[in-house]
Amino acid sequence: MPYQLPNADLDLRERMYFPEVIRGVGIIMKQFFRNFFFGREKDPDILARDRSLSQNATLAYPEERVPYPPGYRGLHRLVPREDGRPRCVACYMCATICPAQCIYIEAGELPEDPIEKYPVKFVIDELRCIVCGFCVEACPKDAIRMDTGEHAPPSYTRSAQVWDETRLLRGPTVSYQYDPWLRRGSKSIPPEKLEEMRARAKPFPANATDEYAQTPGFSVRALAAEERERAKLPPKT
Amino acid sequence: MRRFFGMVLLAVSVPIAMTFLSRVVYQAVGWVEALATGAGAPPTYGAAIANVVVLMAGIVMTMGAALTVAERKWSAMIQNRIGPNRIRVFGQSAGGIFFLAADALKMLTKENIEPSQRSRVLYELAPMAAFAPSFVLFAVVPLGPPVDVIVAGVRHTVALQVANIDAGLLFIFGAASLAVYGTALAGWSSNNKFAILGGVRATSQMISYEVSLGLSLAGSMMAYQSLKLDDMVRAQGQLLWGGLPALGFFLQPVGLLVFFVSAFAETKRAPFDLPEGESEIVGYFVEYPGMKFGMMFLAEFIEVVVLAAITAAIFFGGWHPVFFEQTMREAVGAGSVWWASICAGAFLTKILLLCWLQLVIRWTLPRFRFDQIQKLCWKMRLPVTLGNVFLTAALILVDPSLELLALVGLAEIAAIVVVTAAVRRKAEGTVKPGAHTAAVAVGH
Repeated sequence: MPYQLPNADLDLRERMYFPEVIRGVGIIMKQFFRNFFFGREKDPDILARDRSLSQNATLAYPEERVPYPPGYRGLHRLVPREDGRPRCVACYMCATICPAQCIYIEAGELPEDPIEKYPVKFVIDELRCIVCGFCVEACPKDAIRMDTGEHAPPSYTRSAQVWDETRLLRGPTVSYQYDPWLRRGSKSIPPEKLEEMRARAKPFPANATDEYAQTPGFSVRALAAEERERAKLPPKT
Repeated sequence: MRRFFGMVLLAVSVPIAMTFLSRVVYQAVGWVEALATGAGAPPTYGAAIANVVVLMAGIVMTMGAALTVAERKWSAMIQNRIGPNRIRVFGQSAGGIFFLAADALKMLTKENIEPSQRSRVLYELAPMAAFAPSFVLFAVVPLGPPVDVIVAGVRHTVALQVANIDAGLLFIFGAASLAVYGTALAGWSSNNKFAILGGVRATSQMISYEVSLGLSLAGSMMAYQSLKLDDMVRAQGQLLWGGLPALGFFLQPVGLLVFFVSAFAETKRAPFDLPEGESEIVGYFVEYPGMKFGMMFLAEFIEVVVLAAITAAIFFGGWHPVFFEQTMREAVGAGSVWWASICAGAFLTKILLLCWLQLVIRWTLPRFRFDQIQKLCWKMRLPVTLGNVFLTAALILVDPSLELLALVGLAEIAAIVVVTAAVRRKAEGTVKPGAHTAAVAVGH
């Protein structure tokens, strides 16, 4: 045993049982009165709740949610560029590596640009998805992420869980300076838009960083602060 | 803060609401009595019928049904969670009270599964046999003192007690014994070996605890020199040493403890709920679907209410509002209906508090094993009860005014309090060093 348990026999007072039972009843009564007279705090950050009055640790689910941690693999999203198109070049890496084979891509050529492809159809069946995150790791263009911070919302029909590119294209835009369409210019992006995107693009990082954690709004405390804002509660220190 | 004051207000308004409810009940019973005597019935018949309808079918059934919901809410409050709150009417969950309708609807609309080889008559009879005795136990409980209610200028003496028979306590023992039939029949008639085993467990537990149930009240019978519950309640109003009301709590604390625990075991309520077990062990009602199970389930809650009522009547002063009794009686007028309503309201509040206490005890203790239940009854409870009977008899013989008994009772309470509070904190380093090094040597 890593630590020693005090496994002493019951002494006479404990063998009578009723003193300890009465003490137990007192403890239960105390818990009852604490929860009876004081309501629970509605802070989504449960650990930050004040436990001196009511120790209720419940969240009323769908109205109050626990914010998911950074790196949570949730609902997929196709990461957009600043010009509104997806970063995806339909290279089929994600579809190939997906263990559940839930991604269906149809590639199409851009009319002005003979080099780049774009996904004409990009369909993910969220019911087949096993939420492994391989597609995110496989993508060379950081075009698919699972950082939406929510899970696939439940629905009454199976067809509602088949997400196509119009539903998947959402979230903050991402650009890097080494993106091919920025480096060599792309005929499908107008020149002034290109300059703007180049100005906003992130440089190539010197060492590998966790991109998700850099995405703003991704600390649990920050998300809890946002939810508290939404529920208009007083701020915690 | 808002909730604090709201809940304090709620807690204070409960006795007041009960008082007004009792006022209405007294008036209603008086009207029916007036109608009945006008139609030629003997003096208390109409009042008895009205009492049956209003008290038993109204108050007890409502309390029992509300207790099914209240149990879930109060259990949640004990366990730091919310409890059922998702049925909302106009956006308000109102403490979960609408779950009553949901539970009732659920039980009524369930499919009626009938095992094929069951004994038909006994199978149908068992829920009724389980329900009726617990329900009927309430007939002798004196909810309110007899008082003159004036209906259309005529005085009628009305008491909120269904039947004031001379053998009040004996009736209670008899009805509690009858309650065994329901569980035995339910287990036997289901054509299911596990149900029979569950029924036998339940029956033997109930029969064992009836012995201590009866004997624990023998001391109170001697102290108040009557079997009628109404006389017992009245006798608890007498003041010892000019100030202390002769409550059963002071005179017979051991009797109270034994009776309360035996009542738990009679109702098969946790921690004595091995027979029903709730998804851990097959109970005696495993073949009962829908409302048949609902009857037995409700019977358990009604028995909780009724045994709380009997405990309040015998040990906590019944309808005496123990605090500020003299001032309230002088303020309202000793013979008026409002004084009687205050008394009945106090009784109803005591019933609520004792139901709450039973619920709290449910969550304090883990379930007892069957041999522990029986050992507790026959080896611990019975000798204690017999000792209490002898001691009480000796003390009453020595001092017929109950002062010596009260002194000994207070001494017993003080002893219990002292023993409960004398918790010795064991130091962490009481382990023998040899054992520790041996464990370390084995571990590596």
